[in-house]
Amino acid sequence: MSGATTPSLFPLQNGGDPVLLPEHITELTGLGQFGLAGELLATFVAAFIVGNFILAMTGVAGPWAKRKITASFTDRIAVNHLGPGGIGIIIADAVRLLAKENIIPENVDRPAYDLAPIVIAGSAMLGFAVIPMGSGIHLADPEVGLAFVFAVAGIASIGLVMAGYASGNKYSLLGGLRAVAQNVAYEIPLVVTGMSVVLFAGSLQMSEIVAVQNETTLFTIPGLEWAVPAWFALVNPFAFVLFLIANFAEVGRNPFDMPEAPAELIAGYQTEYSSVYFVLVYLGEFLHIFLGGAIIATIFLGGPAGPGPDELGILWFTLKIWGVFFLTQWLRSAVPRVRIDQLIEIGWKGLLVLSFANLGLTAAIVGVIA
Amino acid sequence: MSTGTEPETEPEAELTEPGVETTEAALESLLGERAIARDDHLNAPGFVINPNDVQDVLSDLRDEAGYDHLSCVTAQQYEDRYESIYHMKKFADPTDEVSIVVPTTVDDPVSQSAEPVFRTADWHEREAYDLVGVEYDDHPDLRRILLPETWQGHPLSKDYDQEKPQLVTLTEHQNPIQPDHHDDESDTMFLNIGPHHPATHGVLHVKTVLDGETVADVEPDIGYLHRCEEQMCEQGTYRHQIMPYPDRWDYVSAGLLNEWAYARAIEDLADIEVPEYAQIIRTMGAELCRIASHMLALGTFALDVYGEFTATFMYTFRDREVIQDILEDLTGQRMMFNYFRVGGVAWDLPEPREEFFEQTREFLNELPAKVGEYNDLITGNEIFQTRCIDTGVLEPEVAKDYGCTGPVARGSGVDYDLRRDDPYGYYEQLDWDVITRDGCDNYARVLCRMEEVEESAKIIEQCLDLLEDWPEDERDVQANVPRTLKPDAGTEIYRAVEGAKGELGIYIRSDGSDKPGRFKIRSPCFSNLQALEEMSEGEYIPDLIASLGSLDIVLGEVDR
Repeated sequence: MSGATTPSLFPLQNGGDPVLLPEHITELTGLGQFGLAGELLATFVAAFIVGNFILAMTGVAGPWAKRKITASFTDRIAVNHLGPGGIGIIIADAVRLLAKENIIPENVDRPAYDLAPIVIAGSAMLGFAVIPMGSGIHLADPEVGLAFVFAVAGIASIGLVMAGYASGNKYSLLGGLRAVAQNVAYEIPLVVTGMSVVLFAGSLQMSEIVAVQNETTLFTIPGLEWAVPAWFALVNPFAFVLFLIANFAEVGRNPFDMPEAPAELIAGYQTEYSSVYFVLVYLGEFLHIFLGGAIIATIFLGGPAGPGPDELGILWFTLKIWGVFFLTQWLRSAVPRVRIDQLIEIGWKGLLVLSFANLGLTAAIVGVIA
Repeated sequence: MSTGTEPETEPEAELTEPGVETTEAALESLLGERAIARDDHLNAPGFVINPNDVQDVLSDLRDEAGYDHLSCVTAQQYEDRYESIYHMKKFADPTDEVSIVVPTTVDDPVSQSAEPVFRTADWHEREAYDLVGVEYDDHPDLRRILLPETWQGHPLSKDYDQEKPQLVTLTEHQNPIQPDHHDDESDTMFLNIGPHHPATHGVLHVKTVLDGETVADVEPDIGYLHRCEEQMCEQGTYRHQIMPYPDRWDYVSAGLLNEWAYARAIEDLADIEVPEYAQIIRTMGAELCRIASHMLALGTFALDVYGEFTATFMYTFRDREVIQDILEDLTGQRMMFNYFRVGGVAWDLPEPREEFFEQTREFLNELPAKVGEYNDLITGNEIFQTRCIDTGVLEPEVAKDYGCTGPVARGSGVDYDLRRDDPYGYYEQLDWDVITRDGCDNYARVLCRMEEVEESAKIIEQCLDLLEDWPEDERDVQANVPRTLKPDAGTEIYRAVEGAKGELGIYIRSDGSDKPGRFKIRSPCFSNLQALEEMSEGEYIPDLIASLGSLDIVLGEVDR
């Protein structure tokens, strides 16, 4: 145990029991005895584990699953040759994408063009740092956790503008502009709706938000003895729906996939990217969808909570993220995209007003109960 | 139509009344001195006029006599003259036709443009200039339309040297980013949509000027898929060698409808009577093609509005696949059917007949449920409605001015369907309705197509009943047609059928040989596409894309 006398990266909160993954690792490997350097190393190891877990989900399983999911929605079979269910295509895809020539057009504005993919993918990765994924997988738990997630996820907009503007392509430019207009219009409702959750939980800290949801019982189903936990999706379904909608706009998926809109803008800000850069941009998109799912799971669906022992937390959490991912694919198959002006209108005139109404209402209710 | 000798003259006042056929005497008195000679065609009386009278005559014909549909402009070169023919019809009654023949000298082939009277003449005259070499005075924009701007000579003119190599510089295909068409005065941006773009449904290049996301100017640039279809038809014999080509115009499953256009023209030209039994098979096959074509139109429109992962596209292809199988059984081919013959069809229904009937009926029985599914999935969707209602508006008068036909015109409330108004095949004896909608927008066009699918199913159903009960010894699939067809020299005919996209017309001039002297295709997509400019200016890019999709163009037919 890192004693109270030495400075520590993570001052233990819950009466000295390790909560976060770096703490677990410090304890298990005995790195704690090397002081700050040891803890730093443990933190890196933890970040490495979490990062790879996320990448395995988004970068490796995601594209394959997306193929299979859309295929079943659209009456197709999709990949089926390599391995069971065509899962071997993941390796082939990886080789293909990484081995391709990285074509950089003459007129691109470097280094913005080169940085954009990293910003897009990196910003989403950062967000996962504060998400409690259950089974002790939780990198950091700052008191401003929720604000942090929104902040880093918002950085992606800069990446989109960089990509759109630096590509020297008119389609990319239009895509980039659309992305900014859209993100500005939908980030506010997103954050404001998130705040209504904060009002309930009384904290911005992710672990606290999860704990509050699972400690309280909303009601008990008579006869079955099932205590339904007070997940915010159940407590305030209105906020949940608002948040879902704003989230789809935030990650740019149907009905709000205007920044790409392949039928109109080829691929928007992605048009000029190839090879590894393309992989990064696309990875960023997937990461954002999964991060969106993670935020929804954490602040509305009780985080890693689920039936069974606590050790299964990560399983439930993953399931919830994939549920949101599944929903985005469903919408892609079934829902048309709105027009850019309609999208802005829905954002500013619809969602913004509704989200403030929700916030006011929630504040009033919380005030009355308290 | 007879060349007419009836002496009675209609009073002038009744000339414009819809549905009232204009007699030749009335036409003669209307044109008066301006008609310098007669040049009758098999389908219509023809009047020869002076090259300087074109606008005058055409506007009189439109305003005084009600010929409001400039169906086609055919240009051709004779040994001693050039000739432009304006094939005019009435939207109220397409059997009431008149041809205005405008000869010009070989040395100075300049004729007055009809563009100020009919907007549709714009592209038609550009094509005539491009391929034949007739020049049109007063035309706003007389440039080549199908061939590259650097092309030397006019391929369908007499003195054209086919052997001479053409140098097509790459300036046209330059990287569009290079010259940034930025205007110092305004904030508009020039954008090339296509020729390689997901939403152009082929190789179409739309030159667009954008003001922000708003479309300020649109100009379709066509010709990327020009394959000299007219000339190839001129080099084939009437009897067998032309029929395979129509399949390649509107190549997305509308093959039989196209074949019928040629079949109808040549059968009327050579005076061939098609057996009733063959007509029923033709009708059934053509309507199957129409359903397949409309399904594809619906699916690709969904691609434009929903995005590339939409389920609708695959659903329509799933349902279209059933039709493809039926057509394959019937014709032996899935795309390039080549099933019609001059005077009938190639062969009878496939044996065992019961199996074919059963298969087709099964498809028809399942169709209502599928259409219901589309209505749930697409037309009932609120987002889809906000995207499509009141976008891409095409007013009926504008549609007529541009010569729009087919679902595009009917979606604008123009009640015009050649199957009913200029009956051919077996349509007259069957019970079905022409679908029109008054929305004039993208939504109306989509609904129009979906309802036409149901009407086509009705037609097929009745055809199946007839075919099933047809006496076995009367199943003639072909008329007696001479081995070599040589229509009299100088006979001319313009005949149109209701193709999947609209009025598909064929003009043939016989020169006495077994090959056409001039073969002209009036493509519905060509005329419909012209209206894109009218529909999308001032709207947003997504609406431009949706409007383009709702026009349902096939570039194989636009460029020919």
